[in-house]
Formats: sequence, structure tokens, C-alpha cells
Amino acid sequence: MKKNNAIELKNLIKTYGDVYALNDVDLNISDGEYFVLLGPSGGGKTTLLRSIGGFIRPDSGSIVIKGKNVNNLPPDKRPTSMVFQGFALFPHMDVVQNIGYGLKLQSIEKNIIDEKVNKMMDLVGLTGLHNRKPHELSGGQQQRVQLARALILENDVLLLDEPLSALDAQLRKDMCIELKRLQKTVGISFVHVTHNQEEAMSVADRIAIIADGKMIEEGTPQEIYNKPKKQFTAEFLGEKNILIGKVHNLNKSKIILDINNDKIEIANNNYNVSKNQGVSVSIKSESIQIKKNVKPKTNEKNSIFGKVTEITFLGQFVRYLVLLSNDQEIQVRSSEEVANVKLNDQVILNWKLDDFILHNE
Amino acid sequence: MSLRDDFQPKWKLLLKWGWLSFAVFILMAPTFYTVYISFNELGFGAKYYNFTFQWYENVFSDKQLIGALGWTMLLAIITLPIVIPFGLLSAKLYKQSTHKVWIVFILLSPLFVPADILASALLVFFKNLNKFFTLIGEYTGIYSLDTWFDLGIMTAVIGLIVYTLPYVFVVIMITMARYRNEQTEAARDLGASAWRAFWEIEFPQIRAGVFSACAFVVILTFNEYTRTSLLKGGFDTFTSVLISQMLNTGMSEESYAMASIVSLVAVVIVSAILIITAIKTEELEKKTRTIKEPNK
Repeated sequence: MKKNNAIELKNLIKTYGDVYALNDVDLNISDGEYFVLLGPSGGGKTTLLRSIGGFIRPDSGSIVIKGKNVNNLPPDKRPTSMVFQGFALFPHMDVVQNIGYGLKLQSIEKNIIDEKVNKMMDLVGLTGLHNRKPHELSGGQQQRVQLARALILENDVLLLDEPLSALDAQLRKDMCIELKRLQKTVGISFVHVTHNQEEAMSVADRIAIIADGKMIEEGTPQEIYNKPKKQFTAEFLGEKNILIGKVHNLNKSKIILDINNDKIEIANNNYNVSKNQGVSVSIKSESIQIKKNVKPKTNEKNSIFGKVTEITFLGQFVRYLVLLSNDQEIQVRSSEEVANVKLNDQVILNWKLDDFILHNE
Repeated sequence: MSLRDDFQPKWKLLLKWGWLSFAVFILMAPTFYTVYISFNELGFGAKYYNFTFQWYENVFSDKQLIGALGWTMLLAIITLPIVIPFGLLSAKLYKQSTHKVWIVFILLSPLFVPADILASALLVFFKNLNKFFTLIGEYTGIYSLDTWFDLGIMTAVIGLIVYTLPYVFVVIMITMARYRNEQTEAARDLGASAWRAFWEIEFPQIRAGVFSACAFVVILTFNEYTRTSLLKGGFDTFTSVLISQMLNTGMSEESYAMASIVSLVAVVIVSAILIITAIKTEELEKKTRTIKEPNK
């Protein structure tokens, strides 16, 4: 069954002087969806989030939340709550006062506020910390207070602006699990901004890639990671194996590409390309097999030759840098050191036809 | 600049503190001497010292001086609720603006004009305003406005606002600089109006600066001679009465007593402000640091 949209953004534009912070952004976020806005710093994702929250007024376009246009509503009149990047807790209030502040503003009776605050504290794992001031809490606890303070208002959408950026790596992983659990429990839409792909992949139902104020592409974490449609997405997700060339030949099942006179073969997954068209392709470094080249020539189309220029041990895997005959460089990631492959060795790289992704933008 | 250095010998640190204390003592010595004389029954230059509160009793029974004290307190009390909100708004504007240098220049500019020039400029301005309203009265038949800018409390208060606003702005601005706007945004997001976000979230954190600014206004009002003398008329404010008494009769023992009272009150207020501000600043910095860098 198709879910209703919690948020609908249409043709959103925001400029600062000549710079487009948001450039004609369209986006729909469903009810109860954990949606992540992922992209490089300065790409416009926080501007987009703050526009939804009412902290920035877009130049044009519309923001509809739960079917209501909120373009002209200030933050306190929108059905959204925000978790801020820098733990915007009130330092002169204790945990209970911080969490209950939004309810106090609604003139709710104190005993009801206390009851709701206690329930919320149990939900986010803050039991027993009632009278602590923010500076007496750890980073994770402070973030939980922010979450509780935002969730207690029972708004339709929770906006999270880089909520885990100030936490250490382990705490960030724990909080990702916690956030996902919380979202499932409360069942509202979460919109989470981050530049950390691991964080995005671990919490998101859907991800949108944003850069230079533009929506690059969106999809499930699996789609975005395994089959990025755009070269930018592939590069941003850490994949540096981008090869530029043109279509040499194609049929329904395969495409042969000319990469500076090296021919490589990839699967044709209904790509909309034609002969001699310029394209870029990418492949994940862990999808390539590397072995020492024993034959000077091979007829295999899904392979390419090169020379090892660097071998780096990186803990969980070993990274090989291979220079191709056309001067392009390819990274190969192997879970263990490949026997016999040494620095300056001639090697042959193989892949499955499906592993190369074609970007035809 | 900190006086502490973990690697320097202890005697060097003591020497620095000793030097600082000596400098303060030299600066304050005339004030201490005034206080010393004010308790001598035999007055300035006497060979013997007989302790007495007589001069203080005389001061409090001097109706002219007490009347002047009352006028000055009144000026301070009227000035405060006008200049403090002005200062707060200016500091907020400064924090939000991208043209900070211009705001500082505009707000501090009254400090660069000598007191007597600014006072006479305001005096001429008020006289012209009166003429303007008289002219309006001749055309409209409404004469109630033509005495608005006669010299008195209102003109003196305007002069004091122009004089004290730069100090109020600077003191509040310094405290406000440590406040993080994200907290106001968070309050707004939770449903607070702009006023409630200011009053319940921002104000408690900049309170020390606002109270310091209030104390400065009171002290500056007492300290002010030229502007209040020219703009209030009557030469009946505290400093003008004290100075005229000194000019007429020389420095009397009552004058020493009065000077001591004012100096001690000022020193106590300023010290209290400095201590409270230092403590609050350290507390706020610690809290902000912990909140901003929770893992450290």
C-alpha cells in the first residue's frame, strides 16, 4: 500500500547572492519514513532541513507538510521538531526542565508534563538523570535529551541536523541503532542530515544525495550504494574507480566500452546509450579481482592490465593501486594480501559483467 | 594575559602579583587618603587624628547635597529602563548583523566627541526644537509641545542616554557574544514566541551583563558633570553641587566624607560586578565547552 507523503517539496530555490544554496529541489518524504539527506559539506542539505523547519525562508517553491503549505509559518507553528547539530540544550535548566519546556509552553498542567517527561526519559534511556544539568551529561546523554525534548511534542516530523557529528565513532554507531529503534517505536518521519555515508546507510529507509544545492539522486541505501545512477554519487560514496570512455559497441545484454583504446565489457542493464556516446563507468574496489599477469595477452573482455604502484595495509583490507596503460588509476581492495602480487608487478584485473555501473549523465 | 605559567619559579609569580597590587595601591592611594581624612575630627593637614563620624552626619544633614543625591538617583532611575533595552537591542543587532564594524562605530561614536561639545550641541539642538514646536504652535494653535525640550529632567536623561549607551552596548555585547543562537532557535522550534525565547532562554544567560550595565549607568550618572549640568539646568545634580561647594568654600571635611561614600560605593559595586561576571563567565564557558565538546 502506498504511504501518504509527510513532506512534499516543490521547486525549492534559496540563493545567497549569486550562490544557489537550493537549486530547484523537488522531494517527497513518506509518512513514517527514515529519510537521510546525504552530501558533502556546503551542498545545501542543512539549508534544506532548516527550510523545512522554518528557520530559513526559501526564495521560491513550496513546502507542504501533512498536506498543509507551511511556507509562511514560523518554526513554532510548524508540525516539526528539530534536533540541532551542537546540542542546543538550555544550560540553566536541568534534564526534566529541558525535556518539558515545549509542553510548558503549551500551558499543560505540571503533573501531566511530569508524567510525559518520565515516559520519554524511559524511552530514550535517561532514567535517573532527572536533575542533571546539561554540562553534567555525556555527549550521548545530551543527544538523548535533545531527542526526548523534540519527540515529547508528538509532531509529525523530526528533523535531525547532523545529530551525531560531535560524538566519537563508537558512540555514533550505538546512537544510529538507537535512532532507528526510536523511529520505529514512535512511527513518525525522521529527516536526518549527515555527510557520513556509513551513518546514512545504517539508519535510512531512503537516501537523497545533495550537492551544490541540487538533488543528485535518491533511492534506498542498497540502490544508492550498489547501483548509483550518477557519477557524483559513486565518487561521493568513496568510489574512486571512475573510467571515462565511449561506447564502442552494444547489444541487448552487453556493452563494449573503449577506454583510451582498452576495451572493457560490461552488462547492459537497460542503459539508455548509443554507439560512440561518451560515458563514465565506475566499479567498487572490492568487486575487482587482482592476480599476477602470467600471459602477455588475453581475450577476456571483462579484464584489464596494469602495474601495481602502491600496496597499503589498512587493517581490515589491503589496498592495491594499479596504473592502467592509459594512465588511469584503479583501486583494488582485497580482504587479504594476494599471493605473489608485489609492488611494480604487472597484473590483470577481472570483474563480473554486472559489477561495472554506467553513468550516462 | 594570564599571570600563570606552569614552568616559571613561584617567586616570579609572586613578584608579578606584588607588582600588580602595588600599581593598584598607587592608583587608589588618593582615594584611601580621602577616606582616612574623612574620619578625622580635626580635618585635613591636622597634626593629630581624632576618629569621628561627625563629617558623615553633617553630609546626611546637608539638605542641598541630599537633594542633589535625590535628583541624580532620579536621573539614573529614569535613564535605566530606557538605555538598557536600547543597549540590548543594539547588542542583538550587532550579533545578527554582517556589518559589525559599522554598528560598533555608530554606537561608540558619542564617546569620541568631547563631553562639553556634545553637551552644548544637544543644548542648541533642544533650543531649536523648542523654537520649531513654538512655530508649529503658531500655525496650529497647539502650544503644548513648545516647552517639551525646555531644560530639565527629560533633556538631561536624553544627554545621559547618549553618554551611557556605548558603555551599556559594550558590556552587554561581551556577555551576549558567548550566547549560542541555536538555543533561541531550539526554543522557537519547541513553540516559544520570540519574546519568550528571549526572556526564558537568552536573558538568564546574559543576566550578569545586563546587571553590570545597570550598575555602570548608575555610576556614570553620578560621575557625570558637564552633560547633566548643561542639559538639566539648575546645577542641582550631585556632582555639580559637590564641585560648586568645593569651588566656593574649598575642600571641606564634609566633601571628604561625601567623596569617600561615593568612592566606596563605586568600588564595592564595580568589584561585585567584576567578581560576579568573572564567576558567571567561567561557569558559562565551562558549560558551553562541555556541551559543545561532550567527549572531551
